[in-house]
Amino acid sequence: MNARTHPVPEQFDDPVQQREAATLGMWAFLATEILFFGVLFAGYTLCRVRFPEAFAEASRHTDMLLGTIETAVLLTSSCAVALSVREVQLGGRRLATALLGVTALLGISFLVMHGFEYYAEYQEGLIPSIHYTQQGVYAHGMAIFYCLYYFITGFHSIHVTIGVVLMGVMGWRTWHGAFDQDYHTPLELTALYWHLVDIVWIFVYPVIYLVGRAG
Amino acid sequence: MNARPQRTHKSGPRPPSLGSNLWTLLALLVLLGLSAGSALLRLGPFNTVANLGIAVIKALLVLTIFMRLKTDNALLRIVASVGFAWLAVMIALGLADVLTRTPLLPPW
Amino acid sequence: MSTVELPLPRSYLEEGFGLRSWLLTHDHKRIGVLYGLGITFFFFLGGLAAALIRWELVTPAGDLLSAETYNKAFTFHGVVMVWFFLIPSIPSTLGNFLLPLMIGARDVAFPRLNLFSWYLYMVGGIFTLACLLLGGVDTGWTFYTPFSTMFSNSHVLMAVVGVFIVGFSSIFTGLNFIVTIHTLRAPGMTWMRLPLFVWAMYAVALVMVLATPVLAMTLSLIGLERLFGVGIFDPALGGDPVLFQHFFWFYSHPAVYIMILPAMGLVSELITHGARRRIFGYKFMVYAIIGIAVVGFLVWGHHMFVAGQSMYASIVFSILSFIIAVPSAIKVFNWTATLYKGDISFDAPMLYALGFVGLFMLGGLTGLFLAATALDVNLTDTYFVVAHFHYIMVGGAVMAYLGGIHYWWPKITGRMYSEAWARFAAILMFFGFNLTFFPQYILGVEGMPRRYHEYLPQFQVWNVLSSAGATILGVAYLLPLLYLAWSLRHGARAGPNPWDATGLEWQTASPPPPHNFDVTPTVTEGPYAYRR
Ligand SMILES: [Cu+2]
Repeated sequence: MNARTHPVPEQFDDPVQQREAATLGMWAFLATEILFFGVLFAGYTLCRVRFPEAFAEASRHTDMLLGTIETAVLLTSSCAVALSVREVQLGGRRLATALLGVTALLGISFLVMHGFEYYAEYQEGLIPSIHYTQQGVYAHGMAIFYCLYYFITGFHSIHVTIGVVLMGVMGWRTWHGAFDQDYHTPLELTALYWHLVDIVWIFVYPVIYLVGRAG
Repeated sequence: MNARPQRTHKSGPRPPSLGSNLWTLLALLVLLGLSAGSALLRLGPFNTVANLGIAVIKALLVLTIFMRLKTDNALLRIVASVGFAWLAVMIALGLADVLTRTPLLPPW
Repeated sequence: MSTVELPLPRSYLEEGFGLRSWLLTHDHKRIGVLYGLGITFFFFLGGLAAALIRWELVTPAGDLLSAETYNKAFTFHGVVMVWFFLIPSIPSTLGNFLLPLMIGARDVAFPRLNLFSWYLYMVGGIFTLACLLLGGVDTGWTFYTPFSTMFSNSHVLMAVVGVFIVGFSSIFTGLNFIVTIHTLRAPGMTWMRLPLFVWAMYAVALVMVLATPVLAMTLSLIGLERLFGVGIFDPALGGDPVLFQHFFWFYSHPAVYIMILPAMGLVSELITHGARRRIFGYKFMVYAIIGIAVVGFLVWGHHMFVAGQSMYASIVFSILSFIIAVPSAIKVFNWTATLYKGDISFDAPMLYALGFVGLFMLGGLTGLFLAATALDVNLTDTYFVVAHFHYIMVGGAVMAYLGGIHYWWPKITGRMYSEAWARFAAILMFFGFNLTFFPQYILGVEGMPRRYHEYLPQFQVWNVLSSAGATILGVAYLLPLLYLAWSLRHGARAGPNPWDATGLEWQTASPPPPHNFDVTPTVTEGPYAYRR
């Protein structure tokens, strides 16, 4: 479908109204995502208050270097997808597609790095109920930290995976000229989703990787 | 069928310049370095404050520049803020419980 | 977009007659009707569970149901009535049908998403039915941990999955309503000219969008804990069961407002029409609706006064719970003031509306008893609580829903129902309801605990009265099903505006054409422009 012939659905008066509705809908959806992840962050906060030392100890078992690299990767990917939307708005197509490809690849590399982290934690015996070998006074508190860690990063990785697939779809459509200066709402909304996934990670980074590093 | 006149203009706010996107990325990476570095310093409770403060600044940068809340519709800024505000309520009132719990001794 | 010069079908009902034309429809009116069928089915299913409960409680001995079956019966009753009837009742049926009509739009903003919500609702329902067929779940509708995660041997996962899915149905409905109200209002339909029903839909959509994701994640956590035996909610593993209650009630207290806010908006329509007056204090009504929606998020801790929550937090939650009574009271005062010197007609929708105001008031005032920390310690987990929330949800939300169904029945179907039967059913319902639930207040004060299949013989008189009332109530609920179905074929044809009511929905044909209005209306005045 060519962007110029994209019909406005009958419930809307014109393309402007359609875009307003689409972006508002997406932001409302992002607000639900904030609260969806928010439960886990709230759970983290309330549990950390009860087990401050155990959480610091558990955090020291995470891989800070990999975590930092992953953060940098996601931040860069966010910039790439933002530039891709910009490129489409300026009438570009090839560079926009390439930038979406870069975003997807960065997302995949994030997932791979995270897979290595999970594997290392498995070997170290840090996965509650599957392979957990921690002993001592902090064992319970650390188990709670790691439960939350797997819930948070697990749900986050699912979101990254969905994002990578969406990037692929959007890249394909961009390449085939589905978007131009006038019509590119789906691309814009996908970018918004990707940025939100990035924001979730921005908060994951300090609460998972950086607790008690100086101790 | 339509009572409103048709509006046709380029949809969405004008994109931020290439420069502002790249400067934002640079700022984000610098902030990332800062938060990693500060975490290694012995600051006591200020470690947490610094880390979360930096995370908030990073999130605001992504929201305003990459997600274009700075230039887009004001309503979208409200929607985004409401999402975070409600989360803040959940955490704050939850903390009100956990931080003030006192063990209740049985009366016997 | 140019006007297509094709002979348009006359009404949305005549747009196609096959099953396909219904199951693949994008028309908000048809989706509203589909929801109506779904929730009616679940209402009677949940009602059946209630009948079992009341039947068991006729005698003090646990003779009809075993303790386990009784637990499963009240759990099924709660899960079905809360998530598959009350929460979607007014928003998804009447809201879906009326919202675009009331603001002069051709459809909701995202019609496909709207249909998808209905499918999610049905899939969630299928999971819940499957759970019942497998043997049911015995945790109570609240799924309290660690019982639900560690100890219950019933099909918790299945039930949790069903509720998780139906939660997304209400998230998407809410999202659709918010965007529709923001972007698709007809020219001249300013915010302060919106009918109060639309305001209520806006507020309820906010609550759905902001609260339901919390439920979704909380239920996921139950599922994960149960699957893997890990425990952030399990005290044996250092977890905190009160943490679960915080998350659960962060959703489930606002969920009460998902049930009652639409009822409040709906009753405002019925009362202005029944008294033929403008609403008293329109702006205050709007602020009260929004106030209730927002403050409703700050009071959830009143469910945890005896759960081990810090007493300082309890004091805060108690005060906030008292505060939320203020906007609710404003609404009751304004309805009363609207009636004052009104030209009141006691037709069926008005009877339901007046029933709503009275029962809601009683339910709301007994809520204040429970918001008081000291009194709550005494009344928690007694029948007083059961009576309180049934006054709000059944006396309030269900009465309003049925009033709305009657009021807009001619618009939805194009037929008039039998007024005499409708009045009879409304009065019987009011009588049956009070006979069922007022004795439960007394039982609660006398100390009868809830959720047991046996009780001390001294409570029997009130329990027999309550069960007798439930029988009457059951008959009263079956009546509308019969005479409304009868009217579909034999009722008199309704004109566009049989009630001589204001509001854009009455300016189009009954039943409305597929795209609601032949010409998009232009609004020049506020709602409820009745004679006075
Ligand atoms: Cu409550």
